[in-house]
Amino acid sequence: MFEDVKYQIRNVEGVSEAAAMTFQTIQIPTSLKQERVTAVGYEIGKIGKPQNIISGRELAREHYEIVVDTKLGFKLDDKIPLGRNIYTVVGITKGAVSSSGEALVYISLKDAQQLQFLASNDTIRSDRARGIKDTTSTIVNTIVAKVSSGYSPKDIAENIKKWKHKSAYTNEKQVEILTKNVIEKSSKQIGLFTIILIIVSSVIISLIIYTMTIGKIKEIAILKLIGMPNIEIVKMIVQQSLVLGFLAFVAGNIFANAIKSKFPKNVQLLPEDSVGLFFVVVLVSVIGSLFGIYKALKANPAQAIGE
Amino acid sequence: MSSLAIKVENLKKEYITKDSTLQVIKGIDFELEKGEIAMLLGPSGSGKTTLLLMLGCILEPTSGRITLDDEIVYEDRWILKDTRKLRREKLGFIFQAHNLIPFLNVQDNVTLLPQLNGIAEVEYKKKAKEILTYLGIEDKTNYMIGSLSGGQSQRVAIARSLANDPRIILADEPTAALDKERAISVMELLRKLAKEQEVAMIVVTHDDRLLPYFDSVLKIDDGYLTKTKASETKLH
Ligand SMILES: Nc1ncnc2c1ncn2[C@@H]1O[C@H](COP(=O)(O)OP(=O)(O)O)[C@@H](O)[C@H]1O
Ligand SMILES: [Mg+2]
Repeated sequence: MFEDVKYQIRNVEGVSEAAAMTFQTIQIPTSLKQERVTAVGYEIGKIGKPQNIISGRELAREHYEIVVDTKLGFKLDDKIPLGRNIYTVVGITKGAVSSSGEALVYISLKDAQQLQFLASNDTIRSDRARGIKDTTSTIVNTIVAKVSSGYSPKDIAENIKKWKHKSAYTNEKQVEILTKNVIEKSSKQIGLFTIILIIVSSVIISLIIYTMTIGKIKEIAILKLIGMPNIEIVKMIVQQSLVLGFLAFVAGNIFANAIKSKFPKNVQLLPEDSVGLFFVVVLVSVIGSLFGIYKALKANPAQAIGE
Repeated sequence: MSSLAIKVENLKKEYITKDSTLQVIKGIDFELEKGEIAMLLGPSGSGKTTLLLMLGCILEPTSGRITLDDEIVYEDRWILKDTRKLRREKLGFIFQAHNLIPFLNVQDNVTLLPQLNGIAEVEYKKKAKEILTYLGIEDKTNYMIGSLSGGQSQRVAIARSLANDPRIILADEPTAALDKERAISVMELLRKLAKEQEVAMIVVTHDDRLLPYFDSVLKIDDGYLTKTKASETKLH
């Protein structure tokens, strides 16, 4: 979208302020390594400025100033090379992360557009070759707008959609979109990983239970011989599998909590996820014991007597 | 109700393998009274274990009839469907040592069956304590099986076979792993139990010195069985 859309938006009745913003993923050199972050470009003095500044200030100059999140480990006045220029840290935020969990850094809209230009040089060159005008410096990702009191954000959003043919989202809608699109997309990826991991752990649990059952086949034969019903034998095996699963669940939770801060992305461990995982563990443990149960049920009580 | 605990009529068993048929039991008949304790003798491979397995409803005979505690359990096919229920309620098994469950302690090994039979906890614990005391191993109640000596685990196995108040005890060489004194004390114990609780017992043993503790001798040879009174039996 072009930056001048903001002028159109400003003219919409009920909009008191409108500003352009950009978002891009960049790598910035921290003391340890190159860290992926989301760079937010905003118009200084307009809406969209960094929230939750714990030290320093927001940007004041149009060029080469940067506000970073405390997670990245910079101090005020640190110098960070980005693109062709050196940026000075002027402010530090706490807990500023993108919807995908990357730390946020804030730079001026102008700097952001310049960075974007550098990053996409090749694309632009090929665009130029095809006769497309150089539009980089006027392209932005979004326009944020503030609504005057007395107007409903929802109505204005409808209005913009109708007359300007742009998608407009209220704050609530924005949250919904974020969770629906960005998070849904990454949760689909994570979901795939989760499914793979669950299958792998089911196979491992099956193997363990199977091996443990084979190792106890003589005892199972004895139990059958003295008259233990199958249902009790099945119960024993499932119980054993559940105990294993539960121990793994506890260990996994402790481990996850211990290492989550070491992850490059912000990892949220929610209690409801843990509860969900618990049920998955129970299910996997039961399914994992099926092979062992099959073997146990086939065991011949006469085996108890032989060597 | 008759006074018979076991009645076997024209019982046959053949093992059929790919290339041969082995007739192990060729048609045997015998009866055992309640409280009668019989020695089962025979050369190695004569079918002693096979007979015990059939009496315990673990191995299906080829034909014939088996009546246990006045109930026909087999007549050319299984008459009794839930043979495991019969085992846990009426039968006791003793084998050579180490047929206990190693991941349970002594008490849990002994109380397994009464627990399954739905006996109240206080009751089966009291009973287990009685039996273990009677066998002189009450101090081992909470020991794991692995920490017991051969003689001690054999007594636990006997305790387990008694815990469900069986009507019949089938024992396959229960004293084979024991030295002479222990073998004799186990036999004294089994005899005492047979008499006090009217339990019929068939005990496989090769040990001639144990003959005085039996009422009768079942001798199996070449697929046939003969029963004699122990007092009138000359071994060798
Ligand atoms: N499952 C089986 N399949 C085929 N043959 C068997 C099987 N079990 C035992 N036998 C054979 O039957 C005979 C009797 O075995 P067994 O009852 O164990 O004798 P015993 O206990 O008197 O030594 C032996 O010759 C043995 O090889
Ligand atoms: Mg044998």
